[in-house]
Amino acid sequence: MKRILFGLLFCCFFCNTVVQPAPARASDDLAAEVAALKVKLSELEARMEEQKSAPAVQSADRSLLGKWNPSIGVVADIVAKLNSPKEDAEGSDRISAREVEIVFGSDIDAYSRLDVTVSFSDFEDAGLEEAYVTRFGLPFDTIARLGKFKPKVGKAIPVHRDSLETVDEPLVIQRYFGAEGYNKAGLDVTTLLQTGLPVTQEVSIGMLEGGNGEEGALFGDTRRRPTMYSHLKNYVDISDETNAEWGFSYLAGSRDEDADFEVQVLGSDLTLKHQLSANQALKLQGEVFNVNREETEDDLDGNIWGWYGLADLRVAPQWSVGFRYDNVQPVDNPLENLQEEDTGYTGYVTFSQSEFARWRVQASQFDLSDGNKDTQIMLQGTFAIGEHKHKIQ
Amino acid sequence: MFKKYIPLLAFLLWGQCFMPLQPVSAAGETLNVVTTTTIFADLVKQIGGERVEVKAVASPKQNIHFYSPKPSDVRAVASADLYVNVGLDLEAWSDPLLEAAGKPELMRGRNRNLDLSKGIALLHVPTGNISRSEGDIHLFGNPHYTMNPENFKIMAKSVAEKLAEIDPSGAASYQENEKQFLSQLDAKLQEWKSLCQHCQDKEIISYHEDIAYFAQFVGLKAEQFIEPKPGIPPGPRHLAELADYAVQHPVGAIVLPTYYSRATAEKLAERIGTRSVTIVQNAGEVAGSEGVVGFFDYNFRQISEALK
Repeated sequence: MKRILFGLLFCCFFCNTVVQPAPARASDDLAAEVAALKVKLSELEARMEEQKSAPAVQSADRSLLGKWNPSIGVVADIVAKLNSPKEDAEGSDRISAREVEIVFGSDIDAYSRLDVTVSFSDFEDAGLEEAYVTRFGLPFDTIARLGKFKPKVGKAIPVHRDSLETVDEPLVIQRYFGAEGYNKAGLDVTTLLQTGLPVTQEVSIGMLEGGNGEEGALFGDTRRRPTMYSHLKNYVDISDETNAEWGFSYLAGSRDEDADFEVQVLGSDLTLKHQLSANQALKLQGEVFNVNREETEDDLDGNIWGWYGLADLRVAPQWSVGFRYDNVQPVDNPLENLQEEDTGYTGYVTFSQSEFARWRVQASQFDLSDGNKDTQIMLQGTFAIGEHKHKIQ
Repeated sequence: MFKKYIPLLAFLLWGQCFMPLQPVSAAGETLNVVTTTTIFADLVKQIGGERVEVKAVASPKQNIHFYSPKPSDVRAVASADLYVNVGLDLEAWSDPLLEAAGKPELMRGRNRNLDLSKGIALLHVPTGNISRSEGDIHLFGNPHYTMNPENFKIMAKSVAEKLAEIDPSGAASYQENEKQFLSQLDAKLQEWKSLCQHCQDKEIISYHEDIAYFAQFVGLKAEQFIEPKPGIPPGPRHLAELADYAVQHPVGAIVLPTYYSRATAEKLAERIGTRSVTIVQNAGEVAGSEGVVGFFDYNFRQISEALK
């Protein structure tokens, strides 16, 4: 009997397992699982499509990877020069890497930025051209610079060579401040004046170490005695196409160990720009400097002038032509020779091969106060790699 | 001789420094917004309404990449509460301009610097090794995204959110203005689509790769360029190659911005028996292209007529 009952129970259990709708349930589960997977697959496909069509997010993230490194740029200035004097002067009758600048720059923190320019040249050892901290966000929207920099005096001094219209600096800058411009260590502050006038006014005041740039003759050699400078820039938009800027500069420095600021310079600059069409523009620029030095030697002129005028015409997106006239009374101008001055006539054609490569041919004729003449023909190539941005002029 | 003038000069210079220097925005009720382009100026004005004063830096008549900011632009940025830009290094002059203005909060990546490329589905993002031997390529992708009107939906949202963040009391107004802008844009999108329906799948030759987003919206095929590489002017050999290409592939038109050489485009168009047409890159670049709507009205009309 027990065996029969056990057999019946076994049969019932077995039949139940056989009869219960197990396969039906399995197929339902499978169908549900497939449906869920299909949903997941379509979600994944949609996400992939989104990622494909939104590379902006990827590129932004990728761009952050190198953000801790400073931006680095290299600017090479290659010059071939032919000139008439037969002396073996720097760069005469040869092709030279006149200057290769390596430029580093980056934000230090939320309020300041560091810019460093190291220059190499065929003619001299590697040197520090600029190294300065810019401090933003000071009271009265003032911007301060500390370190070695180009002071904001006039128009030609504050810019790097690759931003000049000509191969070389205007003669007055070369003779008074330095053949390669004027970079000095110091401190300066700049602020925009909110006068309510339709004129944009910017004032800069600074204190620099003494001395001149290479071959400059304005101040003495001593670097202990500071040079003070100030510049007032006035700018006005005359129309959508035309604007004008005029500025006034003042420098006071020393030519010897006594810090009595016996060398004083007044400067004025005038720039007029006119956009002729989308790709054509005319720029007229001039700067004049009047130097007053308390001369210790009676036979030297203590009151001298130097100036230049430049016209630059961009005739097409890649082409521009221009002319510069220079007129400079030498710093150590003997009183008996007062009428003599260095004059120069310079013409040039510039071709911009691309945004980062430029060629320039320049011809100059200089009539020097010592009676000599210097005729120069120069071919310049300026090439930039890496980060390359120009400061606002 | 000059020494007597020193006190006078010092007075003139420093005296002016202590004149009222409050930012304009602090004195006024409105937000001062500076945009790099004229089309962004119109977008911000439409979203910001009466609560914002907007000034565009770059003249619409020039290639924005090569614009040279002026001291008056520095002054405008120095007084700004918000700086709106295209980003992606299109405005190569933007960082120097912001540094000259000297307001840390407006500088790239900071909270008052609104880069409208964020959130846009970018085209031509370089992959692999990149080099300037490939021409004037943009490291972060093709920056001409303002040429596709669909992208203005994303930009309008970004502008409304940023204005609300800076000026929470105006949030409702900005949202409402954004809604109105989007509804107007939606209607215009339909209009522009139907205006250019016949242009779909037609092939054009473009001067520069700035056409990509525009072609994306219209459905144009734009894979041939007068520039052999971005930013590199064409030589005779490349123009001959384009002419050969056009023999095998019907080209509907040659499209170029107003500031490129029309002579080159016309010469090529004549050679391959098609026409050249200019489109604008900035609002207000030519008469009739003012504002976001005017800008696209002008461009779609030009393309539609050229490809008829």
